[in-house]
Amino acid sequence: MISPTALEVLFVGIAVTLAALIVARPELTRVRGGKILAFVTLFLLPVLGGWLGFSEHMERAESTRFCLSCHVMHDFGQSLYVDDPSYIPAKHFQNNLVPRDHACYTCHTDYTMFGTMHSKFRGLRHLYVQYLGHPPAAADIKLYTPFNNRECLHCHAGMRVFEEQPKHNKTPDMMAKINSNQMSCMTSKCHDTVHEVSTLKDATFWKGAQ
Amino acid sequence: MSTAAIVRPPAIERRVRMAGVLVCLGLLIQLLTLIRIHPLAFVAFILIGCPLVAAGLILYLYSILSHAEQRNETRQPT
Repeated sequence: MISPTALEVLFVGIAVTLAALIVARPELTRVRGGKILAFVTLFLLPVLGGWLGFSEHMERAESTRFCLSCHVMHDFGQSLYVDDPSYIPAKHFQNNLVPRDHACYTCHTDYTMFGTMHSKFRGLRHLYVQYLGHPPAAADIKLYTPFNNRECLHCHAGMRVFEEQPKHNKTPDMMAKINSNQMSCMTSKCHDTVHEVSTLKDATFWKGAQ
Repeated sequence: MSTAAIVRPPAIERRVRMAGVLVCLGLLIQLLTLIRIHPLAFVAFILIGCPLVAAGLILYLYSILSHAEQRNETRQPT
């Protein structure tokens, strides 16, 4: 089975070859067949190739490998392998509660109409800081805004084990507060062990991952 | 003495060739950015590959439009 990337490479390869033919023999465009070839080669194929490439890059930008390709993110990648279920990202990653190849994006995109676009713009700013600014130490990296329960509820809302969990129903209005983000999942001393990259040097790691 | 004169290709062919060069370069850069999964590859795709292809497309469209205009002008009765 040919992968989408291989298909994209093949498609663009054909487009480049045909464009090179037009560059080498522009007189081909004097006849009707040559005019059609030029239109397909210099208009239709580049537009299609660009769209395919853009869609491939957008898909790649959601991958864990993409997020961890910057050095400053290395420790955050390591934290996914901590052998301690109290580390929320590690528990989700190791138990396939989030897709491993899209682990960062699954929790750190905003599940709103323009969430993906906002994530991309933030990513461009990160790139600027990484290469033209002063990237902070991993332990100093903080979220721009407190983690919104909406991102957790994207999967957990409606789950029986979540809604019937006694800890989530200590008071009659607790679930309503969780659902409306008035009571944070992370900062209410319930699920507050997240990446904790400053503690990694003392942590043990999941050996089954190797 | 040779009687063969060096004939310059018509303007439309020169523009089409230039458009082809731009499209080729842009597509090659787009192709190269697919080699690595890295944020810089994405930025190179958006900031170098796409503008080159777009410039090629615009030049090609301009060349066929300007050629059509020239042909219409020469066909008009005086």
